[in-house]
Amino acid sequence: MNHRFLVLVGSLVVPAAVTWLSTMPVAGQTRSAGARTSGSSAKTYTAPRTPDGQPDLQGIWSNTTITPLERPKDVTKEFFTREEALEAAKRVAAQEEEQTEPGTVADVHYDFTQFGLDRSQAAMALNLRTSLIFDPPDGRLPPLSAEGQRRAAERAAARKSRGGLHDAVQNEPLGARCILMDRNGPPMLGGAYNNGYQIMQAPGYVMILTEMLHDVRVIPLDGRPHLPPNVRQWTGSYRGHWEGQTLVVETTNLTDKFAFQGASENMRLTERFTRVDDDTLRYQFTVEDPATWTRPWSAEVPWKKDVGPLFEHACHEGNYGLYNTLAGARAEEKRAAEEAAKKRSPK
Amino acid sequence: MQKWLKRALTVSLGLALAVISAGGQTRTYRAPRAADGKPNFNGIWQALNEAYWDVEAHAAAPSPVLELGAAHAVAPGLSIIDGATIPYKPQALAKKQENFANRLKLDPEIKCYLPGVPRANYMPYPFQVIQGPKYIMMIYTFAGAVRTIYMDAHKEAPADSWMGWSNGHWDGETLVVDTTGFNDQTWFDRAGNFHSDALHVVERFTAASRDHLLYEATIEDPNVFTRPWKISMLLYRRLEKNAQIMEFRCVEFVEELIYGHLRKKPSR
Amino acid sequence: MRMRRAVVGVVAGLLLAAVPVVAHHAFSAEFDINKPFNLRGTLTKWEMVNPHSWFHLDVKDESGTVVPWMIEGGSPNQLIKQGVTKNSLVIGTELIIEGYQAKDGTNKGVGRNLLLADGRRLFLGGTEK
Repeated sequence: MNHRFLVLVGSLVVPAAVTWLSTMPVAGQTRSAGARTSGSSAKTYTAPRTPDGQPDLQGIWSNTTITPLERPKDVTKEFFTREEALEAAKRVAAQEEEQTEPGTVADVHYDFTQFGLDRSQAAMALNLRTSLIFDPPDGRLPPLSAEGQRRAAERAAARKSRGGLHDAVQNEPLGARCILMDRNGPPMLGGAYNNGYQIMQAPGYVMILTEMLHDVRVIPLDGRPHLPPNVRQWTGSYRGHWEGQTLVVETTNLTDKFAFQGASENMRLTERFTRVDDDTLRYQFTVEDPATWTRPWSAEVPWKKDVGPLFEHACHEGNYGLYNTLAGARAEEKRAAEEAAKKRSPK
Repeated sequence: MQKWLKRALTVSLGLALAVISAGGQTRTYRAPRAADGKPNFNGIWQALNEAYWDVEAHAAAPSPVLELGAAHAVAPGLSIIDGATIPYKPQALAKKQENFANRLKLDPEIKCYLPGVPRANYMPYPFQVIQGPKYIMMIYTFAGAVRTIYMDAHKEAPADSWMGWSNGHWDGETLVVDTTGFNDQTWFDRAGNFHSDALHVVERFTAASRDHLLYEATIEDPNVFTRPWKISMLLYRRLEKNAQIMEFRCVEFVEELIYGHLRKKPSR
Repeated sequence: MRMRRAVVGVVAGLLLAAVPVVAHHAFSAEFDINKPFNLRGTLTKWEMVNPHSWFHLDVKDESGTVVPWMIEGGSPNQLIKQGVTKNSLVIGTELIIEGYQAKDGTNKGVGRNLLLADGRRLFLGGTEK
């Protein structure tokens, strides 16, 4: 399709607040630690099977969400009503449509809605939860253990001693360096945009491709052991098995470089994938890390079926922005130094 | 008898029965089938040649990095090309030679850039094929490169990319992959052999035995070459227990190389 | 071309927390808030790359000299899902770009608004402005 002079993207997209959402069906299944749904019942869904008998999770998915990880301080309930959740989604869409005040810092940004990168143009499953965390029941991260507090202080001190954010490439955020993003994790959590995933299943494997950073985990289902303890990977060592309709993926052998919410390299992560209807996947994870928290905690977020294709996210290859940021910081310092020198010896 | 040994002997027998030559004459081996009735290429594969240094025949040569001595010297290797050399246009050949002379600065592999096609297939690391009726994925070790091969709903490349846009179909026992939409940034090897964004690669994967794929690729680029040229090689199945693709996230290994000169100088 | 003035509010009460707009890098680190520009040029290339696409323009300065500029935009991935391709934007298209210039002083900028010569938004994402 070739629109020669005008890209009629607007005519292809129907960003009406309701049509891009599908509700996470509130089935009566129970999960660990009191993860109830809002109470209305729905038919139990059985996913179709792949030829080798796995429940079929395949397709392109989006985990775009507006639900925060932790429950906001002024919210006490676990679930919004459907109307409240829809209202919140509409408010976010309106927020994203507003242009920013010229001359403000927020205005130094491209118009992301023009590129379809706002949440209202993404596939998003409506989530009635008031937070992604459902255990502890207050929807917030558990307290830090003693070691967790010590490590957090150590990290804060290390950050300070490293200097400014733009002093060196290694000081920049991992996402800006195109090394790892929240969407990769693990656990896999959506960001502002490009929250695309592709799941494929072959005998003995489940493959998860994360669009951003073209990251792939090929998860073996044959019960093989984890990598040896001295071998650490950014996305760890991951092993999967089926429990009924749910794919359970256990991950160890992480590093402390990504440090999800401050986690240590000894974090053990359990992810659970269950298809709850044709268009919705429930993604749940449990974090166990006594080196950081006093108890395990769990969260869940619904994924919505999306259209492809996923396009190559060659982030590092196209990372002009990182170069410009560092060069810009050095240029500013040079200007400031020259100005200071002029002030010292005016001619 | 150990399972792997049994397998290896079966392979040798299978090889003896399937006649293979670089000229491409094969007695067709019938691979076990995937659920949809197509040849099953699922598995972990790896090339075993020295083409990653130079796709043309080449003698051993020193590393451009003194301190790496023999550990990074160029290993000798035969050509993987039908007709031995790449048919460059004269100006393109000059550019190739310039690339070679400046390879330390210019080779995209050094900067952990995605390797492109066909280079990804003969880098000296394993890659995994995950096969389905709609998509066939190829997941490479180096830089976590990945290719999506669209088996139905063939589209034109929406934009240029490092690994190209691949449309595939089955031709009997052969997986045919037609790839376009390349940018002009990748090389074919460490010797500076290059292409433009007009690159068009047609690959053929055919099972030669249970644990071998015959891999052939025809490379076309009217901006750079006087005619299409063809490479071929075997891909070997990684048979050891628990073979897996491990992480080779090299971005953090090259940051200092690429951005180190932009570090803030300590103030006096 | 008038830029809409609005307040980016912070939601409270029942509403969910304000969602972050800027994800992985702060543009105000790359581009200078004190160097706004308004350029008119012809497109020579649209690099549909990640993490951000880049529009290359030939811009005539006051003396009539053609100066190449590079303008940062959004990731093309969502547009591609919506059917946009490298053929959707023709080389030579005249564009008007309002934005902020790079801090390193080079002819680069972030394209705050990308418009066609007739004032319409380049990609009509969401509702038409």
